[in-house]
Amino acid sequence: MSTQPELPLNESPLLAETPSRGGRTRARPVASWREHHGWSASASLRRLMSRPVGTLLTVAVMAIALALPLTFYLLLGNVQKMGEALGQNQTVSMFLQPSQGGSAAQLVAKKLRDRPDVAAVTVKTPQQGMDELAKMQGFSGALHTLEDNPLPFVLEVLPAQGVSADGVERLVTDMRGMSGVDQVQDSGTWRQRLEALLGVGQRAVLILAVLLALAVLLVVGNTIRVDIASRSEEIGVLMLVGASRAFVRRPYLYAGIWYGLFSGVLAAGFAVLVELSLADPVARLGHAYAGKLQIDVLPPWLLASVPVAAAVLGWLGARLVSAWQLRKAA
Amino acid sequence: MIRFDQVSKRYEGGHEALSQLSFEVASGEMAFVTGHSGAGKSTLLKLLGLIERPSHGVITLEGQHLGKIGRSGIPKLRRRIGMVFQDHRLLMDRTVFANVELPLMIGGMAPPERSKRVRAALEKVGLLAYERQLPATLSAGEQQRVGIARAIVAKPMLLIADEPTGNLDPTLAVEIMGLFAEFQQVGTTVLVASHDLPLIKRMRKRVVVLDHGRLVADVAAQEVL
Ligand SMILES: Nc1ncnc2c1ncn2[C@@H]1O[C@H](COP(=O)(O)OP(=O)(O)OP(=O)(O)O)[C@@H](O)[C@H]1O
Ligand SMILES: [Mg+2]
Repeated sequence: MSTQPELPLNESPLLAETPSRGGRTRARPVASWREHHGWSASASLRRLMSRPVGTLLTVAVMAIALALPLTFYLLLGNVQKMGEALGQNQTVSMFLQPSQGGSAAQLVAKKLRDRPDVAAVTVKTPQQGMDELAKMQGFSGALHTLEDNPLPFVLEVLPAQGVSADGVERLVTDMRGMSGVDQVQDSGTWRQRLEALLGVGQRAVLILAVLLALAVLLVVGNTIRVDIASRSEEIGVLMLVGASRAFVRRPYLYAGIWYGLFSGVLAAGFAVLVELSLADPVARLGHAYAGKLQIDVLPPWLLASVPVAAAVLGWLGARLVSAWQLRKAA
Repeated sequence: MIRFDQVSKRYEGGHEALSQLSFEVASGEMAFVTGHSGAGKSTLLKLLGLIERPSHGVITLEGQHLGKIGRSGIPKLRRRIGMVFQDHRLLMDRTVFANVELPLMIGGMAPPERSKRVRAALEKVGLLAYERQLPATLSAGEQQRVGIARAIVAKPMLLIADEPTGNLDPTLAVEIMGLFAEFQQVGTTVLVASHDLPLIKRMRKRVVVLDHGRLVADVAAQEVL
C-alpha cells in the first residue's frame, strides 16, 4: 500500500469524474455519426491511394464493364437516328413496262394521286433517269455506248404522312396489280427490318447493361472481400473494443462507393471518347445520304448519372460482401 | 456488479476450462484472479466481455443477464468495459494515439475532448512521448501499456485486465497496478488476471484462486498477507 503513487486525481481528466458509460456522449449522436462518415470516407480513400496500381486495375475493369453498354447504347441511338433520317421521304418506286409511254404514265400517276394514302407522285421520264445515272460516277462512260435509252418511265410515289407500314404494304400490293406495271420496289420493308433489328438491339443493350452491372457488382464485391479478409485482425480488434458492425463496415462501404464513382467517371470518359471518334465518320456518312446528319451524343444527364449509378453499385457490392464477411469474423 | 452462478465453460472438443464457478464481485471492488497456467483465468475474463459464451450457468453484470444479450447488443456491452488483453491486440498500422483514441471514436466523443483524454491516458501509462509512433516500434512492455491506456481511456465502469503486467519490469508493474487501484478509488470495478503472486500480495486486494477451472480459494482483501 505504501508504494501507491500519489497522483492528483482531481486534476486528471481521466479520473475527475465517476466512470461513464464508455465515454459515449449522447448529446451529439448526429455530429459523431457525421464525423465517422467523414473519417471513413477519407480513410478508405487514403487506403485506395496507398496501393494505386491495384486500385487503378480494379477501377479500369469496372469502367470497361460500364462503358460497354454505354457505347452500345450510343451506337444504337445513332443507327436509329440514321434510319429515321433515311426513312423519311421514303418513296415507293413503280417501274412501268418499257412499252408504256408518257401518257400512260400520266394516267397511272393521276390514279395514284387520287388515293388518300398517297401524298405525291413524281413521274420520271427515261431521259431524266438517264441524266441521273450519268451524274453517278463511273456510269457516264458506259452510258455513252448505248444507242437508245433502255430505261422505262418510273413513278416515285410518296405515301401520305402517317400511313403505317402495313398501309404502305397495301398500297404497294395495289400498285403491283395496276396495268402496265413492270415492278414495284418498296424500300419500306428495309425500314421495317431495321426497326425490328433496332428493337432486338435495344433489348440486347438492356440485357448487356444488366449483366455488366452484375459484373461490376462482383468485381467490387470481390475486391472488398479480399480487403476485409486481409484486415480480419483489425476488424477483430475494433469489435473487441466495442465497435458496432455498422462502424466496422463503414470504411469498406465507402471504398465500394469510391471504386464505383471512379469507374463511373472513367466509363463516362470512355463514352465521350467513343463519341468524339465517331463524330467524323458519322458526319461523312450523313453527308453522303441525307445531307445533314450529325452524331447523336449521349445526353449529359445520362453521362452524369453513370458515376452516380456506379457508386450505388459499388456501395451495394460492398454492403452485400461485408454483411456476409463480418458475420464470419464475429 | 458481477455475478457468476454455476458457470461452466467447455471449449469445443476440449475439456472443461471452467466448472461450476460461482462468485460475486461488488461494484467498485478490485479483485485478482490467479491460478496456474491453463487454470481458466483468461476464459473467465472472456466470458465477461462476451468473447466467449458459457456452456452452463448464468453471468449477470449490473443485474443484466449476459446470456440474454444478442449479437447486436455486444458492442454496447463492450463499450462499458475496458479490456486489457494478454496479447495487447493493437492496430499495428495506426499510431499509438490512434489506438488509444479508438474507444472514444467508437463512443462518438468530440475530437477536442478526445485528444485531451487520450493524452491523459497516455500520460498515466508514461507513454505521452510515443503518441506519434507505430506500436511495432515499441517494446513489448510499452505495447502492453498502450493496451492499458486504451482500456482506461473511456472511463469504463468495469476494467478487466488479462496479465497486464506480464511484460513489465517490477517497478513498472507496481505502477500499473497502482493505476488500476486509482480507478477503483473513483468507483470502477476492476478484475485483474495475474499469476504474479508477489505483486498480488503487495496490492492487498481480494484474490480469487482457480485450479483447473474450479474456484479453490477466495481470499478477502484484509486476509491477504
Ligand atoms: N479457444 C480455445 N479452444 C479450446 N480450448 C481452449 C481455448 N482457450 C482456452 N482453452 C483451454 O481452456 C483452458 C483454460 O485456458 P485459459 O486461457 O483460460 O487459461 P489461463 O488461466 O488464462 O492460462 P494462462 O495463465 O496460461 O494464460 C486451457 O486448458 C486451454 O487449453
Ligand atoms: Mg490467460
